[in-house]
Parts: sequence; C-alpha cells; structure tokens
Amino acid sequence: MREHERGSVLALMPVAVLVFIVLGSMAVDASLAFLGEREVANLASAVANDAATQGIDVVRYYGTGELVIDPVRVREVADAAIARSGLDHLEGLTIETDVVGDSVVVRVRAQVRSLFSRALPGGLELREVAASAQATAERG
Amino acid sequence: MNERGAVGGFEVLPFGLLVFVAGTLLLTNAWAVIDGKLAASAAAREATRAFVESTGDAESAALAAATSAIEGHGRDPERMELTWDVGPDLRRCSVNTIVVRYRVPTFTVPFIGAFGSGVIETTGRHTEIVDPYRSGLDLDGFDPETCHA
Repeated sequence: MREHERGSVLALMPVAVLVFIVLGSMAVDASLAFLGEREVANLASAVANDAATQGIDVVRYYGTGELVIDPVRVREVADAAIARSGLDHLEGLTIETDVVGDSVVVRVRAQVRSLFSRALPGGLELREVAASAQATAERG
Repeated sequence: MNERGAVGGFEVLPFGLLVFVAGTLLLTNAWAVIDGKLAASAAAREATRAFVESTGDAESAALAAATSAIEGHGRDPERMELTWDVGPDLRRCSVNTIVVRYRVPTFTVPFIGAFGSGVIETTGRHTEIVDPYRSGLDLDGFDPETCHA
C-alpha cells in the first residue's frame, strides 16, 4: 500500500459491511426458498401417498381382482389436498398428477416470495420451487 | 501530512460498525424465524405421519414425533405447541390436520426495534388421510366406495 492511500481503506469499511449484509440477506432468501421447497415436497409426498390408495378403482378391483388407479379420482384427491394445504404464502401453487400403471406421480410447483432480494437492484422477487413424488399401490 | 487520509475517513468507522451490528441482528432474526418455521413444518409432518400410521396410542405417538422433530432441529420442545385443525380421527379415510406452532425468541435491533414483542410465532401445518386399506383398524361400517377425499 502506498502512503497516500491509507485513508481510502477506512472509507471502504462501510462498503464492505454493506456487501456482507447483502450476502447475508441472499443467504436468508435462499433458506426461505429451501423452506418453500420442503413444503411443496411434503405436499407432493402426502398427495402421492393418499392418491395411490384412494385412487384405486374399487369396483374393478373387487370385480376382476385387477389393481387399477383411476386418474379422475387421483385428480380429486390432489385438488382436495391443495385446498386444505394451508400453503397460502406460496404464489401460483399448482399440482400435476399422472398415473403410470399402478403408480401415482405427483409434481408440485410454486413460487416463493423473497424477503430481502426484492429490495436489491436486479434481485429476484419470486423464486420457482418444485418437487415430485411417486407412490405405488401394492397388495399387502 | 501522512495522516491526511486517516482523518478524512475515520468518522465512517462507527457508522460502518453500527450498520454491521444492526444488519447482522436483523439477518439473525430473519434466519431464526425461517429456521423455526422449518422445524415447525417438519414437526407437523412427522406428527401427522406418526398419527395416521399408529397402531397404539396415536395422539401420544404424534406428540412424541413432533417433539423428536423439534429436538432434531436443535430447538426447544418447551416452545412448541401441537394442535389439531382437523381430527384427531383414526378411522379409515379420515382427514387429519396437525398444526405445530413454535415461538421463536428475537433480538431487539438498534434503529429498527423489536419484532413481535420479542417473540415471533411460526406455524407448520400438515394434512394426511388415514389409509383406507391399512391394517389394525376397525372395518365395521367401512365402505371403500364412499371413501372420498
């Protein structure tokens, strides 16, 4: 360091502090996104688990012994799960269901609102989170 | 002459320190609340799963699972409260919703003040349906065709 630059090091102190705080706020927002991802993952696994049993076409099962999952019934289970999920703080919560053989595949998407990042120039206001789960109906 | 720069920049040091302290406390509070909500969310999920899969004292199993989840997150179970939004009802196809509330203590931040009188309540909520075809539950009056979500 040259002798005449001593003062500028002191002046950079608040700038460095602000940089640390911005980095910290990004870490908090990342944890908020992680929380949202855990919530949609929990919802996906719960819906897949419920739909794999409630979606069984009972009439056909008792009539023919064939284990078939009704996609319409699965959709009803998913819609009911969203309605009572209590995840109102997530934006654009959507759920897709798919029946593959005797398995139910559930994909949940949502957007998490940032706490600090939206106040920063170029910061993300909403972060996309998604999770999927699969459950298979088996004879016990 | 050599000290010119130091004189010009010295007064910003206390300002930087204050911003650092307030900012760190603010972030710590935000982090603690998010971490508390993660713990509450996990506790609600574990409690509901334990309840719908239980074969014995289901409500005690739910409470034990929630307590274990909170402890697993390094949190104090004394600050946790478990309530039922729907249920408890351990019959086939019945819906059970557990809400876990966790009180997170917060710091008072200089210039900004205290959040929520020093305590912020976070909430975790989870819903499960009792498996209509599981073992260990009474079959009397159960009709799988009427088992709707």
